[in-house]
Amino acid sequence: MKRRADFNVIIYIALALLAGLGVGLAYSWLISPVTYTDANPALLRVDFKDQYRAVVAASYAATHDLPRARARLQLLGDADLIGELSAQAQRMLAAGEPFENAQPLAQLAADLQQGFASIQATNPPANPPATELANSLATETPIIPTLPLTETSFPEIATAEPTLVFEQTPLIPQNPLVTASPRPTVTTQPGISKPFTLVGQDTVCDPSLKNGLLQVILMDNRRKQPSGMEIIVTWDQGEDRFFTGFKPELGNGYADFIMQAETIYSVRIVEGGSFIPNIAAPTCTAADGSAYLGGLLLTFQQS
Amino acid sequence: MSANFIKISVAVILGVALGILYGWVIDPVQFTDLTPNLLREDYRADYVLMIAEAYHSEINADLAARRLGVLTSEAPAILVSQTLEYAQSNRFSQSEIEGLQELLSAMQIYQPQNQAAP
Repeated sequence: MKRRADFNVIIYIALALLAGLGVGLAYSWLISPVTYTDANPALLRVDFKDQYRAVVAASYAATHDLPRARARLQLLGDADLIGELSAQAQRMLAAGEPFENAQPLAQLAADLQQGFASIQATNPPANPPATELANSLATETPIIPTLPLTETSFPEIATAEPTLVFEQTPLIPQNPLVTASPRPTVTTQPGISKPFTLVGQDTVCDPSLKNGLLQVILMDNRRKQPSGMEIIVTWDQGEDRFFTGFKPELGNGYADFIMQAETIYSVRIVEGGSFIPNIAAPTCTAADGSAYLGGLLLTFQQS
Repeated sequence: MSANFIKISVAVILGVALGILYGWVIDPVQFTDLTPNLLREDYRADYVLMIAEAYHSEINADLAARRLGVLTSEAPAILVSQTLEYAQSNRFSQSEIEGLQELLSAMQIYQPQNQAAP
């Protein structure tokens, strides 16, 4: 009899322990969970991450500090920085936002892809600082222009050393400030004025690609692929505009468009005015003998 | 009876303590969809600095104010002012401080476009 009473007590104690555990978990998970007040950007909601990315790109467009932009993007914890930037730029265009809003993202993606800033800052600050950091990264950044160059006497904008350490550590005090002299730098000429001409029109029969895929590749007169070039495709019932550089993994001068069957298109490169009429998706034959809509690859070269 | 009651009470308290330990320390709630106002101070400062850098090039106070609005519901000038204090106390570079000052000046006189003064 006593043994049974002892057994009951053990059962009660176990149940009490479990009940207490349940109450404790409910309190710590539901009633008063750990509150985050010092979060890092990787924990942000998706739409705020997009906003963060856009601000990084806008800042980069002003400073052309690629290492810093990369470090800032890495805070978001994206596995593929370039892919996320490109995807966001395309989402913005698909949502009807103007190209000017998406362009900084595409430019940053393109520059990350090629590993250097394609455009150096040419506008001096409104109030140029009298001092700069002696170890400014600006002197370390390779200047590899993609467009014809001219020598100018604009002072180079200092790219400040990253102020923040991004691994959950406090800020690092910066080095003492020293005076730096303005130095001449190379700047890119705005715009590309020479026309593009069609140098290749190839049928692409690849079942792994989307049906009716029109691929366009632009190369400038230095055989480099320029991003941000506007292409207009027109057909009897409409018109679409798209830009190179939104898929930097395929090249900065790459852009694509999906053609429909039995539709005749015209392709126009806005810069330079090249116009290609009578473009249609070809019919291809698969290995099993079935027909499917193939693609076209148009290659343009600046003269 | 009294001894059993004490044992059970101790078990309850122990269970609660273990539950809280597990829920707060061992496996706390993982938040993944946070809002920017919860960012750590240095990240917030860097975000504002990015806006200042962009503003220096764009000179678009409305856009800058909208970007700042993601971080706080307070007036943008207050946020930039706080960031400027942070920057000065954490030895941001001179050009960064000047950029923040430029943004602060813009935000101090900024009037939202849909609330234009009569």
